[in-house]
Formats: sequence, C-alpha cells, structure tokens
Amino acid sequence: MIGISDTTMTTLHAALSGLSQRQRVSADNIANINTPGFLAGRTDFESNLRSELSSGETPVVSGGTVSRSLAATRTDGNNVDLDSETVIATETGMRYQLALQALNGKYDLLSAAMRTQ
Amino acid sequence: MSAFDALRIAGSGMTLHRKYLDAVSDNIANINTAAAPGQEAFKERFIVAQANDYGSGTGGVRVAGAAFGSGEGKLVYSPDNPLADEGGYVRMPDIDLGTQMTNMMIAQRGYQANISAISRATDAYQAALSLGKNL
Repeated sequence: MIGISDTTMTTLHAALSGLSQRQRVSADNIANINTPGFLAGRTDFESNLRSELSSGETPVVSGGTVSRSLAATRTDGNNVDLDSETVIATETGMRYQLALQALNGKYDLLSAAMRTQ
Repeated sequence: MSAFDALRIAGSGMTLHRKYLDAVSDNIANINTAAAPGQEAFKERFIVAQANDYGSGTGGVRVAGAAFGSGEGKLVYSPDNPLADEGGYVRMPDIDLGTQMTNMMIAQRGYQANISAISRATDAYQAALSLGKNL
C-alpha cells in the first residue's frame, strides 16, 4: 500500500530541505565575507540520506550537518572564497530546481491517477 | 529558522556592508577636518563585523560596534586657520585616502556579492512557490 507520501517523495523532501539549508549556509558565508576570523560553513546532508536509503529505510527529513571549512585563511583569519561560494550556490540552486521538478512530476502522476475520465 | 531565511541572511550582509560604506564615506568626508593642536584629531572609524550564531551557520552577520583609529593625527602648519595655535599649527587627521578608497571597494564588492546571493535565493523560493501549480 503506497500512500500519497512514499519514499520517493520523502527523499525529495529531504533533498530539498538539505539543499535549502546549504543555500542558507552559503548566504551566511557571503554575508560574513569580511568578518575577521570567520570560517566558511559547509553543509552535508547527502551522506546521511545515502546511508538511510541504502539500508532501505524511508529517510527522516532533518537538517544536514554544518562543519567549518579548513581551507587556508586570509590575513584576517577568514577563509570565505567568493568563487567557490558562487559555484556552490549556483549548483545548489540548480539541484533545488531539479528536485522540485521531480516532485512536480510525482504530483502530476498522482493527480492523473485521481482524475476521473 | 523562519521562511525565506536566505533573504534575511543576505540582507544582514547588505546592512553590514552599507554601514561599512557609511563609515568609509564619513572618514573621507572628514579627511580635512582640522582641530586645535591641543585637541584630538578626527579619528577614522572602522566597523566591527561579527557572525551571528556562528555554530548554526545560518545566523548572518551583524555590526558588533565601531573601532576608532588614532586621534593623534599630524600637525600641519596653517597659520590662516582660526584653530591654529601661536606657532601656526593645526591638528589634521592622519587618514590615508588610498586605504579608504580600497576599503570602499571592499565594502561595495561585499554589498554586490550579497545582492547576488539574494537573487539566487529568490530564484529558488520562486520555484518552490510554483510547486504543484500545474496540477
């Protein structure tokens, strides 16, 4: 018996939530681009999601973990690199749209199944 | 966490850089502000940036305060100045215009970087808001 919310949807939900967190962390890194001693934050939700999926369970939608980048710092102790932040934020935005499209496709299927002739 | 958090975070970065820009323009505006030799010269102002809720990685940034440069300045011979002492000296601020212009560019570029972050966040939120629209 498959309900409205199956593993695919929960997985996509978890991905959207992790990706939007990564976008927030990236915005935070850019906001702190001139803050002395600030180390760029890096978000990881994929490893948790992957291990949950490979063990066959429905993923739990929870936030990813934020760790601090160990890249070399500038003289002010800050290591935010605008180039990598732009790449990360753009890639995250694309993946977010991709997950949304997949979710939309899933909703389309459901709504087709509910439609009467 | 609230809705549209990325906008709030990038907005905090814009506020910080705007205040940075304000401080720089104030410093440049006062680059020729003379003081009597017995008084302190105009002190250049710096903005102290601090990350909000550093552990969460999504707290944004805030202005933690202002720091000031030295008030010692430099004594300049300017006998026509009404503030001059018997020897004809006034105290002028020791502000380096080159440093100020560099700081201004840093502040402007930081502001622009945050604007790009806002437009990327808007794209993502816009897409999320149209979820399920064509059902």
